Amino acid sequence: VWRSTCYGFDTVRCTVRCWRAHTAGTSLLSRCPSSRCRCRCRRVERVPLILITGRSYRSEPEREVYLQRPEERGGERCNLHGGRHDTVRRLHAAAWTNMMEEAASQLERDHVHSVYDKIAPYFNDSRYKAWPKYLHINEEVFKLGCDVCRPLVDFAWSQGHEVQMCDGLHLPYRDGCFDAVLSIAVIHHLSTKERRIRAIKEMARTLQVGGRIMIYVWAMEQKRRRFEKQDIFVPWNPNPHSPSGFKAEHPAPRRRAAAQSVTEAIDNTDKHRKVRSTSSVADEEDLSGTTPQQSTQRLWFFSRSLDSVFDFGSLSISRSSSRDLSTLSPPTGENEGNKASRRGRGQRLIKQVSSFFYPPSAIGSEEDVFDSVPGLNKGQNDPGGNNNATTTTNDNNNGPANQTVSVSLAQECGSLALPDLVPFQEHLKPSGDEGRGGLQGEEQQQSTRSPQGSEGQAEGSCLRYYHVFREGELAELIENHVEELHVKHTYFDHANWCVVAEKVQVWRI
Amino acid sequence: MKLLTHNMLTSHVKGVTKGYPLLIKQATEVKVNEVDFNPQFVTRMIPKLEWSALVHAAEELGQRQDLPDELVPEYENNEEFLKKVHRVLLEVEVIEGCLRCPESGREFPISRGIPNMLLNEDEV
Repeated sequence: VWRSTCYGFDTVRCTVRCWRAHTAGTSLLSRCPSSRCRCRCRRVERVPLILITGRSYRSEPEREVYLQRPEERGGERCNLHGGRHDTVRRLHAAAWTNMMEEAASQLERDHVHSVYDKIAPYFNDSRYKAWPKYLHINEEVFKLGCDVCRPLVDFAWSQGHEVQMCDGLHLPYRDGCFDAVLSIAVIHHLSTKERRIRAIKEMARTLQVGGRIMIYVWAMEQKRRRFEKQDIFVPWNPNPHSPSGFKAEHPAPRRRAAAQSVTEAIDNTDKHRKVRSTSSVADEEDLSGTTPQQSTQRLWFFSRSLDSVFDFGSLSISRSSSRDLSTLSPPTGENEGNKASRRGRGQRLIKQVSSFFYPPSAIGSEEDVFDSVPGLNKGQNDPGGNNNATTTTNDNNNGPANQTVSVSLAQECGSLALPDLVPFQEHLKPSGDEGRGGLQGEEQQQSTRSPQGSEGQAEGSCLRYYHVFREGELAELIENHVEELHVKHTYFDHANWCVVAEKVQVWRI
Repeated sequence: MKLLTHNMLTSHVKGVTKGYPLLIKQATEVKVNEVDFNPQFVTRMIPKLEWSALVHAAEELGQRQDLPDELVPEYENNEEFLKKVHRVLLEVEVIEGCLRCPESGREFPISRGIPNMLLNEDEV
């Protein structure tokens, strides 16, 4: 009897009659376990579908979900639910989103928050001076700043600014209370497109109609070189002048990044009016200097675009990052056994997914991460025999039941905003024995990578995650997904893409 | 945390509809600083405020003094009034205390002058 376990990312189902899918984690037999299916079939098929049951979302009870075949296979209708496939899909979509949300939070926690917490003390050096600049701009303006990183917020407060600790995805300000919002080097730390959009929407929410927002993010197109991928880990280099690799930050971007995840609103007109001699913010940060032309243009640009708009009022400073304070530790015994195991597995799954984001080594090529094919590991739930010889090889991964998540997705979820990082590749479909052989090969591959992964994780603990933006990406993001914002200007500014947008009234019929 | 800031803050706990204004509780350390008076600033800030929330907060801290319940008409020229508002908005500062959501009761601590508005996972 061929046994396998469904982990929630793919499922096995009876291909003969009932198409019934199995709940995550249950041990599956090669014959259909459904009591309703009287076929006692021996054909069970592993299907690249997503099935997530269990802790999908709090309002929904745990339940089995019936799946439809992927389109490519002909898309037969579900025998059990008839035409109710949309419901099924939405359920999956929401559940999937939830899972990825957790993975994204975890990633941000590990590679943004904790890193900044660690390196915050080092920010109080000359490079950091650029940051307070944002807050010191205009005395006529009331500025509020916020950040997730406590040390940085403390520092800002010590400089006399009104600051709060908060999460950029949930800003603690009432609607429409700010005239301007500035987000500098913040959005690019969010690990998924959906979260980036949410952050922008959240900032737009706090803006008054007619108010403006300025967003700065790291550009993929840098002066000397393009980043090869959009999602990268950048080691934090305490010595700005040491000849580290490109992936280590340049002084300019680093300072800006250091300035960081603090977004804030600046009344640049006033600033420039008062202090004409100083270069603009970017200038000072860019050690390579800037041409006078550029700075004049910038000055001119600023004063033209913001002149008439900035009334004085309170400005908002926020850093967006998600602060998921709960730990993903396995549930305590108070949960009932079934739930507990499922939840624990869900969390291991999250760890697995997250682990794809981690580079294999500190300064190694991140290419590896993105080119890897997630192997399919059939772990085991019960201590009984298992056909895989793989559990041992994956010991260095988390948990006793090492489960490599196969993150191949069915077309059903294609429309979701999925994290850019995870390489969505169809996992090899094992069908019976041949598959197993092939899979074991994959698993070997996976296992050799994983030791690096865990090492890399330890070494690379000061790696910061960035999603660098292509030309036009940020503007497009706003235009397509944030209807309350209307893009006014976009430009490139010393390794950053900048977008200025205005809050508009959205009418709903 | 100044009261001007407090006027903008709201509770964003999931499911809460009336998270504003936050109640100031256990304000164990409140400072009154001296801040330069700028009448234009105050004049222009007033329309952006929720007046009742400001008065209520000032009262909670015992700093209301004689701030009226309603906005005084033509306050732009009323320097005395502006000075009172200035004091309450910018000079009174809560260093240690906490902010309570009026609907859920969730408390956001203020420590070292900084309110911590971060939510836990289950409140998001």
